[in-house]
Amino acid sequence: MEPKSTTPPPPPVMGAPIAYPPPPGAAYPAGPYVHAPAAALYPPPPLPPAPPSSQQGAAAAHQQQLFWAEQYREIEATTDFKNHNLPLARIKKIMKADEDVRMIAAEAPVVFSRACEMFILELTHRGWAHAEENKRRTLQKSDIAAAVARTEVFDFLVDIVPRDEAKDADSAAMGAAGIPHPAAGLPAADPMGYYYVQPQ
Amino acid sequence: MPDSDNESGGPSNAEFSSPREQDRFLPIANVSRIMKKALPANAKISKDAKETVQECVSEFISFITGEASDKCQREKRKTINGDDLLWAMTTLGFEDYVEPLKLYLHKFRELEGEKAATTSASSGPQPPLHRETTPSSSTHNGAGGPVGGYGMYGGAGGGSGMIMMMGQPMYGGSPPAASSGSYPHHQMAMGGKGGAYGYGGGSSSSPSGLGR
Repeated sequence: MEPKSTTPPPPPVMGAPIAYPPPPGAAYPAGPYVHAPAAALYPPPPLPPAPPSSQQGAAAAHQQQLFWAEQYREIEATTDFKNHNLPLARIKKIMKADEDVRMIAAEAPVVFSRACEMFILELTHRGWAHAEENKRRTLQKSDIAAAVARTEVFDFLVDIVPRDEAKDADSAAMGAAGIPHPAAGLPAADPMGYYYVQPQ
Repeated sequence: MPDSDNESGGPSNAEFSSPREQDRFLPIANVSRIMKKALPANAKISKDAKETVQECVSEFISFITGEASDKCQREKRKTINGDDLLWAMTTLGFEDYVEPLKLYLHKFRELEGEKAATTSASSGPQPPLHRETTPSSSTHNGAGGPVGGYGMYGGAGGGSGMIMMMGQPMYGGSPPAASSGSYPHHQMAMGGKGGAYGYGGGSSSSPSGLGR
């Protein structure tokens, strides 16, 4: 590799190409770097156009976009990394439950504390949609199971949700088969087929 | 906080009794507080729903950690860092999470870098933490949209990260167009190159001390 790596403070090489393709965009003009405001550093990701689907599906997709835009804004405003909504020591302990995991960088539980918060928000939000369909104001275990059954990205949770809860989720999912979830990908056919066998 | 215990025909309610059992999950109070943020003010959450989400979160952590750990083993690295987790999330379908988390990780490293700079001769509790603060400083120098993203992956390579950063002095470039489809592939490619640089850094520079 580059022998330059042995030099701790390498001088900046303006526009010098290294062994990877440069990203699209104009090069910054010569001169010292100026620390631009956070808004300029990380512009919010562009919202994708709403896919052509039913009105309810479009509303769900729109809600997803708002959710991620809000997440981005919240993180942009974050300045304190000492107080987390989830305890880092516990996260590290759960990570270490895997025997193959040896060393964990200090930043890893920090990333997970935020990722788990997003995960809980998404799972709860999708579960609440099921509760509303059944005209309930209390989120139940079966609502979480329904969210798992309907969302492909949550396939790894099918073993966590008991089978009897899955049955209830399956009947509800069949009833709401017309509602797509484009933001997180379409529901996988396999879990549906798997649960379909149970009532017979 | 009044907890509603309405169970819908699901008697499978696991009670966590031993302390070690509790350690397998995040505290139910924290989980419950976050769940409330996703619901209307007048919504209630049953206890079994909270416990189910508790279990789901632990499974999420194990799921992502397992994938990141496999990647580290393939690349002969012992420490799982933030970039490995972001890569694993992309691979496992959580692309939406990665962009906000990348910003979060960048800000954290920035603060850690400043912390390390202020206190001279700061040896953290973990050697990897000390090693990774240097890339954080590099990232800070070359802060920018696409450049920042690359720096995060270059950071895994220690000294090589600085080379990667200096090679791309673009600053405040135009935001990338709506390329959600191709972005994961691009990110994975960068991750691979970061690994390659990491290997080079380990073999050619003693200060980086990758513990090889």
